[in-house]
Amino acid sequence: MSDPSIKDFEAAIAELESIVKKLEEGDLSLEQSLELYERGVTLSRYCHSRLEAAEKRIEILNERGELKPAPASLAADPPSRG
Amino acid sequence: MSDLFDLPFEEEPAEPEPERPPAPPPVVRRILSVTELTVRVRDLLESQFFEVWIEGELSNCRSSNGHLYFKLKDSQAQLQGFMFRSTLRYLRFKPADGMHVVARGKITVYEPRGEYQLVCEHLEPHGLGALQLAFDQLKKRLQAEGLFDAARKRPLPALPRKIGIVTSLDGAAIRDIIKVLQRRHPNAHLVIRPSRVQGEDAAPDIATGLRAISRVPGVDVVIVGRGGGSIEDLWAFNEERVARAIARMPMPVISAVGHETDTTIADFVADVRAPTPSAAAELVVARKDEFWAHIDRLRDRGHAAVQRRVQMASRRAHLVGGRPAFAGFAGRLAMRARFAGELAHALARLGRAAVAVRERRVQTADRQLATFDVGRRLAGIRVRLVSADGRLTAGAHRRHARADARLRQTIGRLESLSPLAVLGRGYAVCWNADRTRVVRDAATVAPGDGVHVKLARGELECDVRAAKDS
Repeated sequence: MSDPSIKDFEAAIAELESIVKKLEEGDLSLEQSLELYERGVTLSRYCHSRLEAAEKRIEILNERGELKPAPASLAADPPSRG
Repeated sequence: MSDLFDLPFEEEPAEPEPERPPAPPPVVRRILSVTELTVRVRDLLESQFFEVWIEGELSNCRSSNGHLYFKLKDSQAQLQGFMFRSTLRYLRFKPADGMHVVARGKITVYEPRGEYQLVCEHLEPHGLGALQLAFDQLKKRLQAEGLFDAARKRPLPALPRKIGIVTSLDGAAIRDIIKVLQRRHPNAHLVIRPSRVQGEDAAPDIATGLRAISRVPGVDVVIVGRGGGSIEDLWAFNEERVARAIARMPMPVISAVGHETDTTIADFVADVRAPTPSAAAELVVARKDEFWAHIDRLRDRGHAAVQRRVQMASRRAHLVGGRPAFAGFAGRLAMRARFAGELAHALARLGRAAVAVRERRVQTADRQLATFDVGRRLAGIRVRLVSADGRLTAGAHRRHARADARLRQTIGRLESLSPLAVLGRGYAVCWNADRTRVVRDAATVAPGDGVHVKLARGELECDVRAAKDS
């Protein structure tokens, strides 16, 4: 998922927005429309994959500036209090 | 005179010689030095006025070497006052002339000048609480510096890579944040910098924590806060150093302090203010929800726009096909047929992707459901989720089917206009001699030029005898 033509999530969204806008303005040749459309599909796929790609992790930054995994107790819901 | 001496000695009992009145005891002139006296006065005052509370109005406030000198006065009298730099720094407001204050301290004597004065150990505004005044003053100052300006507020990242959190590990706040994030953003990456959030050390600890977390690569939004409490409990978030640390953060900061009713200085400086820690977590992941919807909307709009474009092209092809001079468009029609083929692929792929995306979402929702404890709220939530998922999937399938149908229509129309079909109706395409372009205008050929004429079946090689403008 490293398409060199896509900088990051925000850039992808911005480009997707501008593509849709151009497509909607409608003064493109059919060929151009289709090219843009293809690009839009690539971008929207990238965005979706980025939405799912983040790593699930909880870390503690200690006083020495080291990152340690958080104790499991922190993430776990304490047993029902009610 | 001699007579006197000759007088017989009278036999009188000698009267006891009256004793000389005892000399008055000599006055002890205990002479004190000025210093000695001053010391005695000082001792007296210091023991008598070891701790006094005095109310009055401040005047002549001035500082020297960080110490504060002032006068405390009322309508009848005034008292010289002094406060050491070391105690001054604990004040949460800035003393100023005209302020009505209550001072605590001891009376002492400044020996070099023989003046008694108050050594002030504590000063607080009379009436208005010291904390409130401190809050108002700092708020006013930072506001004047522009730290609360709307222009300074940065948008939250569309999709945070890592979410930094500065709070206590002991309170409910961190658990609330984690719970919300895990429920709504199961793959969130959190970096927590534990910090005290109450008491004297809290403010420096929070400020240091913020700086530390801003240096962790990838952290692009930070939540700083604690659960609710009294105004004293929340005080660290009203301290200037915390406010400045927030203002200096290179990434947006969400403040999440206590209850909605207390707005802290930190709240004013932060890019976004959340009323509670859970709300802060929701603000971060709300962005994710929004983007899911946003991307879907964009894709749908793009899809619709391209379909409109294809339909427009095909309508134009119809029109052109009906005109006598249509022949020159045959090549372009062929090209459009090819585009339509590509479009079919693109749309089909897209449709599959859209369905896949929604299926993934349903799976995610399922996973989330699986991690829920089967608690009181579960039943309602599950019902809502299931019906929402059902609608999503059904919607995707419907849209996919609609797109397919429309595409098949479009392609059918284009096929009916394919060059061969047109030629079959008796029209021909005329190319120039070297077949580089279609001849559309009689003026572009001269008598004697060769042309190629393509028919539905076979081709003619012709020489032009005459070219007439119609």
